Amino acid sequence: MKCAEVVVAGGGIAGRLLAWRLLRGGRRVLLVDRDPAGGASAAWVAAAMLAPASEAVTSGPEVLAPGLAALEQWRQWLAELAADAGRVVPAGFTGSLVVAHPADRAELSWFAERLARIAGGEELAQSLDRAGLADLEPELGRFDGGLWLPREGWLDNRALFAALAEAIAVHGGQWLAAEVRAVFPGRVETDRGPLSCALAVDCRGFGAKGDWPALRGVRGEVARVRAPEVALSRPVRLLHPRYQLYVAPRPDRHYVIGATELESESLAGVTVRSALELLSALYSLHPGFGEAEILELAAHCRPAFADHLPRVAAEPGLLRANGLYRHGYLLGPALVESALAALAERPPAPPVRREEAPQLESVR
Amino acid sequence: MNDGWTAYGVTLHSRLLLGTALYPSLEVMGRAVEASGAEVITVALRRQAPGSGGGRSFWDYVKGLGRRLLPNTAGCHSAREAVALAHMARELFETNWIKLEVIGDDYNLQPDPWGTVEAAAELVEAGFAVFPYCTDDLVFCKRLLEVGCQVLMPWGAPIGTGRGLLNPYALATLRERLPDVPLVVDAGLGRPSHAAMAMELGATAVLLNTAVARAGDPVAMARAFRHAVAAGREAFEAGIMPERQTASPSTPVAGTPFWHGEGRG
Repeated sequence: MKCAEVVVAGGGIAGRLLAWRLLRGGRRVLLVDRDPAGGASAAWVAAAMLAPASEAVTSGPEVLAPGLAALEQWRQWLAELAADAGRVVPAGFTGSLVVAHPADRAELSWFAERLARIAGGEELAQSLDRAGLADLEPELGRFDGGLWLPREGWLDNRALFAALAEAIAVHGGQWLAAEVRAVFPGRVETDRGPLSCALAVDCRGFGAKGDWPALRGVRGEVARVRAPEVALSRPVRLLHPRYQLYVAPRPDRHYVIGATELESESLAGVTVRSALELLSALYSLHPGFGEAEILELAAHCRPAFADHLPRVAAEPGLLRANGLYRHGYLLGPALVESALAALAERPPAPPVRREEAPQLESVR
Repeated sequence: MNDGWTAYGVTLHSRLLLGTALYPSLEVMGRAVEASGAEVITVALRRQAPGSGGGRSFWDYVKGLGRRLLPNTAGCHSAREAVALAHMARELFETNWIKLEVIGDDYNLQPDPWGTVEAAAELVEAGFAVFPYCTDDLVFCKRLLEVGCQVLMPWGAPIGTGRGLLNPYALATLRERLPDVPLVVDAGLGRPSHAAMAMELGATAVLLNTAVARAGDPVAMARAFRHAVAAGREAFEAGIMPERQTASPSTPVAGTPFWHGEGRG
């Protein structure tokens, strides 16, 4: 049986961040994931928008304050990562845009009204006319206006995954490529045998469902394209009565288009209908996407609790952190802070809830 | 709302049916269902990979709310798709109730009358209790009754538009011509006043989703609709005064001989 001080099960956004913070705090950490590159995690598939205002509109006001704080946290973390790993993670902090086609203009006023109500006097959005929109994103010429949410942004999640892996290695963290089967106090069961440790940390996202029955998967589908004819520097959200679609920029005119949201735990590939929805919305945003190259169509399940807010659970020898839902990057900082707080017997950071460790079906 | 109504032999007391999609979270949805007092809730499963049990966690949550479930075939564009999904829903939810939706136009989600009638006939034959989503067209509705539907779900306006009753005349006509058929006004209601208006016209019940799910506070909005539905129903039963062309003061105006007045208000 291998021994480590801390074993983190799951190398997605939560596991990676938490391992890095624990290492920086002087702990010795072993990370276990069947794909150490992170390719098996929902956060790898994600578009990694940092959109506290728009997510507060669609998901609830609880995410606003922690989301705004997360943007500051990310700026700081990205600077620390650049120092640790020698890698600059591409990111943008110049806001996002919200637009709607003329037929759906009512959605735009609905969105602005809802946001104003949530913001309670704080100015989180500015209405733009055609000229104002063109100033910010000259290529969105087919829209006669929109909203600018200056306190939003994005980051390049795959570059972040690589930088975190590098930083973890720099701090002496170890990786084990193995499939985690279950996580117990002081023990992580894998397909390559059990691992014993002083502290087992369960960050498996949807993969932890077997050990935390209140979790459910909410399927999301995402497209990645390379569009040499399109130059957008900010994330753009396209409002529609039935779909929530956004395009997040990446370096080299790559774009991530997300995301469907289906009450399904299917991990099967992207359906034709979802691809049509995503891609037709994309094409309607800018005709230059017509000749874009489709690099990837991917589906995953976001880990969610019934209230769609993250939770930590701690008991001696065991810490679980999960339920980031569609907010891996927006609420990841709050979840990490709450997990570290739980280890120090301090209360969690809102909106994260702490609960007693879920009862395992068979404690061996 | 003490009087009940009957759908396929089941007596129901709430006249508000609620959909389970589009809420900010499952928990909010659960509380909205509670606040609405709905006894029947609808569940969409077309896009959840039902064949492989993809939506099981969601379905278990919905079942746990303890309401009668009305699975729907939202997202189906042909009779064949809808029939196949209905069979799947019957197995998954152990109910023969099915809200039949066969969409004819993808943009405004308008029902396809031909496909809906075809699917309804087949489903009734297969033992389903069919709740067909239809327009307010009298002939379409009559065809649905002819193939064995016992409840109709005419729209108020296209799904999700929140525009209210676009054609009160047509709904009133349905009520008048089909006095014994439960009419559940489905789709297009945006405000509690729309629901009250439907009930005042004699609708048996209303079905809502977007108006509650996308409200700033879905739970409070569910409660508001509950009150509106109750008020509209009570008004219908109480007998609403007829509209008049001319104003008529409800008390005689001083200085006007009473025989010049046109009755009282």
